[in-house]
Amino acid sequence: MEEAVIQIKNITKEFKVLNHREGVKGGLMDLFSRDYRIVRAVDDISMNVEQGEIVGYLGPNGAGKSTTIKMMAGVLEPTSGEILVNGVIPYKNRAGNSQHIGVVFGQRSQLWWALPLIESFKLLRDIYQIPKAEYEEMLSFYASIADMENLLHKPVRQMSLGQRTLSDILAAFLHNPKIVFLDEPTIGLDVSMKAKIRELILSLNEKKHTTVILTTHDMGDVDALCRRIVIIDHGKMLYDNDMDHLKGFFGSYRTLKIRVSGDVNGHLAEIQRQFPDMRTETEEGWITILVDEEKTGVMKVLNTIQESVKVRDVQIEEISTEDVIRKIYEGDMG
Amino acid sequence: MNLKKYTSLLRAGIMESLNYRLSALVLFFGNLVYIAIIYYLWRAIYASSPTDVVGGMTFTDTLIYVVLASSLFSFMEMYFVWDIGRSVQSGKIALDLIKPMAYRDYVFWSCAGTLFTNFFSVFLPTFIVIEIVTKGAIDFGMNLVWFIPSVIMGVVINYNIDFFVGSICLYTESIWGINMMKQVIVLLFSGATIPLAFFPDKLQSIAYHLPFQSIYNTPLSILLMHSPSVSQVLPMILLQLFWCVALTLFTSLFWFISIRQVTVNGG
Amino acid sequence: MENKGFLFYLRIYRKILAQDIKSKMSYRADFIISTIGMVLTNVAGFISFWILFQNFSSINGWGYYEMLFLYGFSLVSITPVQCLFDNNWNLRILVREGDFIKYCFRPINLFFYFQSEIFDIKGLGQLAFGIGTIAYAWYRLALPVTVLAIVKLVVFLLSASLVMIALQNAAAATCFWLQNSFFILDFAFKLKDYSKYPITIFDPVFRFIFTFLLPIAFIAYYPSIVILRPDAIPLLSYLSPFVGIILFYLSYKFWMYGALKYDGTGS
Repeated sequence: MEEAVIQIKNITKEFKVLNHREGVKGGLMDLFSRDYRIVRAVDDISMNVEQGEIVGYLGPNGAGKSTTIKMMAGVLEPTSGEILVNGVIPYKNRAGNSQHIGVVFGQRSQLWWALPLIESFKLLRDIYQIPKAEYEEMLSFYASIADMENLLHKPVRQMSLGQRTLSDILAAFLHNPKIVFLDEPTIGLDVSMKAKIRELILSLNEKKHTTVILTTHDMGDVDALCRRIVIIDHGKMLYDNDMDHLKGFFGSYRTLKIRVSGDVNGHLAEIQRQFPDMRTETEEGWITILVDEEKTGVMKVLNTIQESVKVRDVQIEEISTEDVIRKIYEGDMG
Repeated sequence: MNLKKYTSLLRAGIMESLNYRLSALVLFFGNLVYIAIIYYLWRAIYASSPTDVVGGMTFTDTLIYVVLASSLFSFMEMYFVWDIGRSVQSGKIALDLIKPMAYRDYVFWSCAGTLFTNFFSVFLPTFIVIEIVTKGAIDFGMNLVWFIPSVIMGVVINYNIDFFVGSICLYTESIWGINMMKQVIVLLFSGATIPLAFFPDKLQSIAYHLPFQSIYNTPLSILLMHSPSVSQVLPMILLQLFWCVALTLFTSLFWFISIRQVTVNGG
Repeated sequence: MENKGFLFYLRIYRKILAQDIKSKMSYRADFIISTIGMVLTNVAGFISFWILFQNFSSINGWGYYEMLFLYGFSLVSITPVQCLFDNNWNLRILVREGDFIKYCFRPINLFFYFQSEIFDIKGLGQLAFGIGTIAYAWYRLALPVTVLAIVKLVVFLLSASLVMIALQNAAAATCFWLQNSFFILDFAFKLKDYSKYPITIFDPVFRFIFTFLLPIAFIAYYPSIVILRPDAIPLLSYLSPFVGIILFYLSYKFWMYGALKYDGTGS
């Protein structure tokens, strides 16, 4: 088997953080003595990523996702552990590493603000020393997958957020990098733009066999793009495996949705009283109950509920990605 | 009137500036270096002059005037024109405008915290140093009493001019150019770079008809007086008061019109 | 990959520059207002200078035209820092907001990439103003015009500008460690105002400081004395090209050291 493009072995990253004291008096005290604590943003993480994979790198805010990506990009040096990207240690050869990676950081455009996109592309062509033929092939490929006519001659500052994100992603792939890091690429975008961006990422990945590391909070991104997901929280790795495996793991779970009339919250309270172990929520007259079939059958739950609540409509679904991820965050990995 | 919201903005400003302990140190020592530079510079200039009094000012007068002008400048200069400009460009201004207090007041009281800390970290130490260096050339009498309201009015006038320039940012993107022009004009005609007493007659009379001299020149001239009488000081103070009122009215009106313009046209 | 030499960077810079100027020209109002601001700044600076010499005929044995030469020399030597390294002023905000991270992912020199982003075309007006001042002073002082003199002037102007660039780089880079480094940068920038005075007016302690610690004496005094007073050139004047290069190199290293330890967390 080919050597993995990203090899991470037991990396840890610690930061020194200043404890601020409260109030004006505390501010005065901070002037004279400072109080630091050590925060472990990434704690003993290991993983390998193969060429061409799209990996969803997930976790709640502050879990350590960006820190890991910055280490892979060579911006941060790990406190301990080993990391190899394309066979080199990123922080020791940042410029060399940059040649083979592309990075998109959500809403922080890396393009030249005042320049039309095409000029940014030309500059990138020079900076990355992209051969002419390759560059032109890439541009014509772009023209086949995105509406380049509208983008190329527009200054980045005049673009909408969606166009800017699109441009940033295209720019990140321009030099045909082996790996592209996408940090929340669809944040703040509308549904159709999200779909466009996902399609774009997929076709770029297919065409160039580019490895994509994607961090996101949007489970739509994960469903559309990732076959493998890695989940971290508080710097520790919680999960690293296939999406299907994960769903299989929670295969016995079903989402039971019932529509009720009248006092929804009152009915919800009643259901919660009957099944205190199950996670429930309400939305527009629907009550959603996450049922583990191994413990209690869905039909049994439904029957019990019907004894006290008038049910107008019922839906039974497989567990959603969002629920799976949430169960992992909550530590329900069994 | 509910003062609470103003004082808590003031408090937040003070706390924020306390966070920057090194910048406070730099400000303090930078200021000392500055005083030394000005001292040697003017000593050399006066040493080269055949007379001790030039344009009605002795070396000591000039030293006090120039040093305190620069420390008043660093204590009054709030740099918020840049903030307004940035808010306008990024669209954050919309958020500021819906705060439950007039934007003018919001900006002023947010800056007031810095003003407050700068008074203690810049102006007061400078004042003490200069008093020691000149062996007590500044009287402790009525001049000090008059100086305080005069400085406060200077702050208000300066704030109004800055706010006016900030309002212009609603119309143009060239914050840099606008701010530069303002700074240059204010520094020159307020006496912050060279005492107005040294100006040739024509330039001097122009300067005295502009509001800028009320920012630095008036308080500093008052401070340099020896036991001034009311009739000496009153015209100067009244002129300042006139500029305070006139500029406050004018800039409020200008802001009101500009904001309407922007909200109507959608910025 | 490793053969990204001088020519590579020159080509990239030329292209960015051409694009940048093109896009600046498309914001014509901004360009005009900024240019007016810059011209006003220079005019006001000159007026202050002129007012000073209306009251005093010489400073420490330096006559009007000699001082004018120093003035022009310092104007020209601070132009490169304003034109080419202006992005240093944004560094603090980019670092604080976490946006600096975007410069960290390119396979080219970080310092170059960052500084190349902004070219401040307004500085060119100042360059013209400064050159005009030098030429006028040169003519009035009846200094000989020889090829050697011109070469000397250019070499010493370049080395002087390296000193200013170095000061600003170092001051800007402090933001990688300090939360609010604006005052340091501002202080360094204000120091330049004093570079136009002969260092001999200061007492030995400050002469030492301005020569070796905050080397503003190399911005105008030491280099221009080579042309102004060729009979009594201090050794330090001859050293100034080396001082310029060494200081620039050190400041570059310091800047890069800060940038490479930047973790992108935003303050």
